[in-house]
Amino acid sequence: MSRTVVESKKPVWIVLTVALVIHTGLISLQGRRRIDTSFVRMWILDSLAPMEKLVDRSTHGLWSVWNGYIALIGLHGENDRLKRENDALRMQIANEHESVLEAQRVLALNGLPAAGMGRTLVARVIGRDAGRSQTVTIDKGLAHGVKPDSAVITAAGVVGRVIQSSNFFSIVQLITDSQSAVAVLLESNREQGIIKGNGGAILDLDYIDDDNALKEGDKFLTSGMDKVYPKGLPLGTITSIGARRGLIKTVEIRPAADLGRLEEVLLVVDRPQSSEVADPTFQGPVLP
Amino acid sequence: MSRVDYSARISTFAIIGKFAIALIAVVVTQGILSFKFKVFGYFDLPLICSVFYGFTLGNPIASILIGSSLGLMQDSLSGAVLGANGLSKTLIGFFAATAVSKFAVDQPVTRIFALFLFSIGDGILVTILGLMLNSAGANAMYGCALSRWLLSATFNTLLGLVLFGYHDRWSDART
Repeated sequence: MSRTVVESKKPVWIVLTVALVIHTGLISLQGRRRIDTSFVRMWILDSLAPMEKLVDRSTHGLWSVWNGYIALIGLHGENDRLKRENDALRMQIANEHESVLEAQRVLALNGLPAAGMGRTLVARVIGRDAGRSQTVTIDKGLAHGVKPDSAVITAAGVVGRVIQSSNFFSIVQLITDSQSAVAVLLESNREQGIIKGNGGAILDLDYIDDDNALKEGDKFLTSGMDKVYPKGLPLGTITSIGARRGLIKTVEIRPAADLGRLEEVLLVVDRPQSSEVADPTFQGPVLP
Repeated sequence: MSRVDYSARISTFAIIGKFAIALIAVVVTQGILSFKFKVFGYFDLPLICSVFYGFTLGNPIASILIGSSLGLMQDSLSGAVLGANGLSKTLIGFFAATAVSKFAVDQPVTRIFALFLFSIGDGILVTILGLMLNSAGANAMYGCALSRWLLSATFNTLLGLVLFGYHDRWSDART
């Protein structure tokens, strides 16, 4: 192995000290939050992410060719099955449509604004942090209207929220990250609670008004109380309920969205004011 | 400017350019692979690269700069505290380069120890800094940190050994 040991030690210590001071300075600036250091992250993210996007597009292209031409064995049978499934779902939608119309009429009669998702944006996941944080990089940034704290979702459920944005790229903190917390409600009895990530693949129930009614298979939806996620999005399903730890039971929740296989996600960039906070005390209109 | 100076400067720029491309490629590869294959989240290519350049160059200044750049890029692409990986990789680069004059770093046992210890040290330092600032991803204190550090250190050691082996074979072939 080739070795070129530097003769004089003095410049080494100077360079080491300068490097350590720069990094310590960056860290302490973020701690005190007196000076915004996000411009450094923005520059580097805007410089590196295009390359990440290029590599991702290339591999995606190759994968598409494979999937589109080579891996089509058994397609006819699957097509028939999907057609049958599609017919069943169409019938289900037709039935549900009446209920939606009825709900809209009731809201209009009571002068309540209709809840909505707001303006959304489709983004592509182009990278994932390999380190200790549960974050992914997406190909939309400030220039596309993305703001910090924009909710990120898929059709299956909640993915996370934007924590850093450069002009053209953003970093999304997944709900499984240990610093993530989401305000939720239990689908069955509307109990409000908070679910936190733990850095692993599952989520932990951090707080709930009453945990006696919890059972495996129960689903949690976002409550909208955190002002990040719109109300009513699927968050996860209870997979196990353990012994009481402190005030509440140990409850493990599997995320509704498959966070390990994210490709395209939806960003909620502009939420309507009406859906930002759901009133938990609202019991329905007072009838005369 | 004399012809010799001019060509020397061109050569210096070419070397710096090659290093810059290699470092960017490492960080981008890490991001893409971790996204495509979840298991790759346990590997830390920038760490292996810092140790690798520290051992092969044996030049502390270059290793500090390489580790520092790799760490800063890694921080920027993740939600981690900006500077946490930078600080850690700077120290790793420095210690790896200074170890060259004190230990036989071309011995597999030394490499195994070095890669393992550097990985554990990096994990502890970055997690502590993250916890201090309550950053995204500081997932220690939740029971999984120690097992993650050990797993990550084992994976990094194995991959590092393979890469070092390739480097040795390539160097032998050239000489």
